[in-house]
Amino acid sequence: MVPAAMATLLRRALRPLRPLQGRPGPAAGVPLRAASHGAGLLYPEHIPTSLLQKALLAAGSAGMALYNPYRHDMVAVLGETTGRRTLKVLRDQMRRDPEGSQILQERPRISLSTLDLGKLQSLPEGSLGREYLRFLDVNRVSPDTRAPTRFVDDEELAYVIQRYREVHDMLHTLLGMPTNILGEIVVKWFEAVQTGLPMCILGALFGPIRLSAQSLRVLVSELIPWAVQNGRRAPCVLNLYYERRWEQPLRALREELGITDPPCTSTAWPRP
Amino acid sequence: MAAPSSFLLWSYYGHGWSRVMRYCRLPGLRSSWPGGPLGARHLSQEKRATETHFGFETVSEEEKGGKVYQVFESVAKKYDVMNDMMSLGIHRIWKDLLLWKMRPFPGTQLLDVAGGTGDIAFRFLNYVQAQHQGKQKRQLRAQQNLSWEEIAKKYRNEEDSLGGSRVMVCDINKEMLKIGKQKARAQGYKAGLAWVLGDAEELPFDDDKFDVYTIAFGIRNVTHIDRALQEAHRVLKPGGRFLCLEFSQVNNPLISRLYDLYSFQVIPVLGEVIAGDWKSYQYLVESIRQFPSQEEFKEMIEDAGFQKVTYESLTSGIVAIHSGFKL
Repeated sequence: MVPAAMATLLRRALRPLRPLQGRPGPAAGVPLRAASHGAGLLYPEHIPTSLLQKALLAAGSAGMALYNPYRHDMVAVLGETTGRRTLKVLRDQMRRDPEGSQILQERPRISLSTLDLGKLQSLPEGSLGREYLRFLDVNRVSPDTRAPTRFVDDEELAYVIQRYREVHDMLHTLLGMPTNILGEIVVKWFEAVQTGLPMCILGALFGPIRLSAQSLRVLVSELIPWAVQNGRRAPCVLNLYYERRWEQPLRALREELGITDPPCTSTAWPRP
Repeated sequence: MAAPSSFLLWSYYGHGWSRVMRYCRLPGLRSSWPGGPLGARHLSQEKRATETHFGFETVSEEEKGGKVYQVFESVAKKYDVMNDMMSLGIHRIWKDLLLWKMRPFPGTQLLDVAGGTGDIAFRFLNYVQAQHQGKQKRQLRAQQNLSWEEIAKKYRNEEDSLGGSRVMVCDINKEMLKIGKQKARAQGYKAGLAWVLGDAEELPFDDDKFDVYTIAFGIRNVTHIDRALQEAHRVLKPGGRFLCLEFSQVNNPLISRLYDLYSFQVIPVLGEVIAGDWKSYQYLVESIRQFPSQEEFKEMIEDAGFQKVTYESLTSGIVAIHSGFKL
């Protein structure tokens, strides 16, 4: 009954995932659960998904993230399932840049186990490392709360999006934005302009939905134009090897990237 | 999160079965005991023999129990929500059908194994209560003259609203039992209900104790199904009934393909979006595929000693209710 064309289309959408037929092919074609020891998985946390599953995940995670803004894992899943093309562009951009290509080769990770907190603490005031540590303390966040990438079907791209997530806190420090909802939206706008990831664009557009009118006014009139301007002007922030720049004064780094001071201090911000 | 290597069983029972059994099970001991001299060939056979399936994965038998425990520990909080989402509410009808097939009368002693969140137990209590009330109404209408004792009893509210029925909910997983107890408190179920931590393969009960034994969507997670069936046979009274509600093989090829599509494409996504847990729901749908067909399971039940074993497929075979009697 189903026209042949539709049937082939459906089969193609499901191809990476057919555990019952065990069709050989790319890594994702292998029965999922047989890959318990890494055979068929591109990286340890990898979960191969078909096109249909990615579409459902994207829609479901978008809805759930809007419904319950505390589900950060849903924002992450949205990013992973919708970002394939953009991640490729980002990865190519990183390859062309000398510092970026180093990052791709060495694959540094920002987590509590890789950071030398004592050394960062001893750095002079105003340096990137010291300010980053201060940001973590003041906002009571930890770099370890980022969920690992699961649904990206390319190992290098999985690293790129993982790096993007771990650099997010750096961006807060660079832009001087706190982690309240207003600050997060501003950083999202900056990221949307910089990376073009669909998840950032969606977050930037739909994030302000739950804001009060006053916050919206401040956001639209001052913060967003500032974020967009700086995003456009600055080179790709993923190309910065932050681990080598801990001693660099924050002010100097901001000048290098062309980031101006934020329009108003956090104490003057209206309550979202 | 290491799997617990010993299981402590308590029975909380308000009416007098206050046996407390401390049972320590050593995981290495039970699975591979061929009972003969272990030569080199036996060793390799033994190694293969102690492997089983965990969804589509192959794991050792000792591992499976722990892994299943972890799955249910993580899904417990969202278990009921996910059931509704995944089956679009149809699981409620399946469970109702199980009760209607059971037709318990006031005075029935039910053991609900793997009954964690209490769906079957609550339905049972509702059913016998409604029956008992119906009986009382009929009595009133039939004989307008009640004896003074009966009238006095009514005023003192001494009558047992369940007519002597009792249900014991047994589950191996503490989290699921916790959720079940919370539900019971929230929905006001108190009388006639008891919660026991126990393993379906080694139940903490005496022989010949229960009128009905049910296991709904639980037996496919048991490592040794035959042992669970034998235990069921042991704890039932002669004349007792075994009822099992479980996912089974679909008989219609078109529906089977749609069902596979839905199971493997949609359900893990639902698990990820709603419960933040892809892998547990992947395990759930794979374990359904590993479970024997209706006929095979019927034979397994007969092997355990049950008689007059029948099954009824529901929703084109997506689930089946198997029934057997200990005669």
